[in-house]
Amino acid sequence: MIARIVSIVCFLILSTRPALAQFKGEIIGQGGQKFPIAVSPLNNTGTAPDSGKLSEGIADAIVHDLDLSGWFKVLDRSAYIEQPQRSGITLGTFDFHDWSTIGAEGLVKGGFSVQGEDITVELRLFDVFQNKERIGKRYVGRLKDFRRIAHKFADEIINEFTGIPGIFNTRITYVSTSGGRFKEIHVSHLDGSEKFQVTNNHTINLSPSWTPDGKSILYTSYKDRSPNLYLFELYSGKEVKLSSKTGRYLGGKVSPDGQYVAATVETAGNTNLYLLDRSGNVVRRLTEDPGIEVSPSWSPDGRQLVFVSDRSGSPQLYIMDLASGKSRRLTYSGNYNTAPEWSPKGDKIAYTGRVGNRFAIFTIGSEGGEARKVTSESSDSEDPTWSPDGRFIAFSSNRGGRYQLYVMQASGENQRRLTGSGGDDTKPNWSPRLD
Amino acid sequence: MPHLKIACYSLAALFAFAFGGCAPSTAAKPETAPKSAGTPAAGGSSQGQGEGQRGSGSESSTAPGSLEALQKGQSSATSASSPLKDVFFEFDRYDLLTDARETLKVNADWLKRNPTARIEIEGHCDSRGTNEYNLALGAKRAQAAKDYLANLGIPSERLSTISYGAEIPVCKEQNESCWSQNRRARFVVIAGKPAS
Repeated sequence: MIARIVSIVCFLILSTRPALAQFKGEIIGQGGQKFPIAVSPLNNTGTAPDSGKLSEGIADAIVHDLDLSGWFKVLDRSAYIEQPQRSGITLGTFDFHDWSTIGAEGLVKGGFSVQGEDITVELRLFDVFQNKERIGKRYVGRLKDFRRIAHKFADEIINEFTGIPGIFNTRITYVSTSGGRFKEIHVSHLDGSEKFQVTNNHTINLSPSWTPDGKSILYTSYKDRSPNLYLFELYSGKEVKLSSKTGRYLGGKVSPDGQYVAATVETAGNTNLYLLDRSGNVVRRLTEDPGIEVSPSWSPDGRQLVFVSDRSGSPQLYIMDLASGKSRRLTYSGNYNTAPEWSPKGDKIAYTGRVGNRFAIFTIGSEGGEARKVTSESSDSEDPTWSPDGRFIAFSSNRGGRYQLYVMQASGENQRRLTGSGGDDTKPNWSPRLD
Repeated sequence: MPHLKIACYSLAALFAFAFGGCAPSTAAKPETAPKSAGTPAAGGSSQGQGEGQRGSGSESSTAPGSLEALQKGQSSATSASSPLKDVFFEFDRYDLLTDARETLKVNADWLKRNPTARIEIEGHCDSRGTNEYNLALGAKRAQAAKDYLANLGIPSERLSTISYGAEIPVCKEQNESCWSQNRRARFVVIAGKPAS
């Protein structure tokens, strides 16, 4: 009934990478511009014909990632001088001059061979200025997973430049009305591939979020008529309905250690935060307020929660220390601040804020201070979610008419559209890094 | 979802036809809707609304809840002929305005005349803002209506609540007229036969 995610394993066979510290840090080309890089279509080194257009397909996936990062200017393929099938992929078997001429400072080359259902891919990153190889890797995997191999190498490229691997082997779960009038939970790889529908119950399903191990999705559903939390395991298809004897569970997030759920619980019109176990049993009540207390998000160390409360008269963000139970107010500007998400590094919180009649994404330091608006209020941008490295934020926006998912650098730069399902795509939640 | 919109209009047209052309009010501003609902006296006939002639509550008692209506592809808008009227709220508020209190008194009168009827009070919000916050806000709105009805003497066992947040709007355009129609508490008869 539900498509399962098949994990691929890419074997690292070969690494000739010399450690080059001067390459790390900011990814900036000459003159402070984005780093100009060329990604050559791959050389088919096998005997089977390239019926699946892998030569360009693998290169395209790498280009997608480098472009999404915002750090690279990927040179247009039509400008390339070299013919990939007529040149080699190792040092000395091609001419760097072909690439420096078109302005490339970095170069990705590679080869692949198909053996039945399997594929071997060799990928290399070259420094065109210094005529040197930076990374050389060989991957073996299933043919159908060739994009993941490409994303793994893109992660390596980001690691080479910054010292932190990229986040291109990740998924987004989100709510979509693409199937009609119902809101269903979907999952898609960051590149838009491997889409599948988690729910198909023809009701309202909301607020999906990943468990920290990336294996399950917690979401709110009306499938049993009134709202409740469900924990769905992607690989097995098993689902647990969180028992709710105390009240109605309107939403929740699994703790960083995977043991608990911070949940929004409604009783007699009031919503408060509770700590639940993974079965839904109440471990502890966290707030005692007659108003609205919703949308808890865990600090990466699991010791604090940021949440929304209207105790001041308007929805504002508060941070609770779980050990002491004490809360402090975080946001003071604006009269509608909701949907907080704590960054993986712990230093920032992203949220949705109202600006006039529009909604925009803001970030604020977790210790407080000035909030920074990172999207324009010419349309609505809502529901931020951090990439696992904390460098990017995905969100939903109606800038193109219907709500679709977008991704940007956490600073707000390089905003790119991720989805276009034909329905409204909202409430993205970014997975942890996946193998 | 263009087909849904078509269904909404055709349903409105049906009501307009069936009840002698009184305004279907799917497009009426909420400011006017509660007022017109507030006019009838305790006797129940509502001065040309057609409700008395057609058997008060029969329409209402068969009107499905909003989730069921969504599943059936029907509009969840409360028809003009329904004896139980929606009450409306301001943005990000759940306090009852004067009009809302008047409407709730009329709804309470109907509940007193139909003592076996049980109702579910649905809390709804406009589409703006965050889903989860709106679920909480809708719960507040439904509870505010419930508490008011209970204060008017309706046993709370006859009153249940559910919040749909911003998930089942009756109007889908992005303007204040539309938003104001969505910020509502809706009353759905879930059991019991109307007495009149």
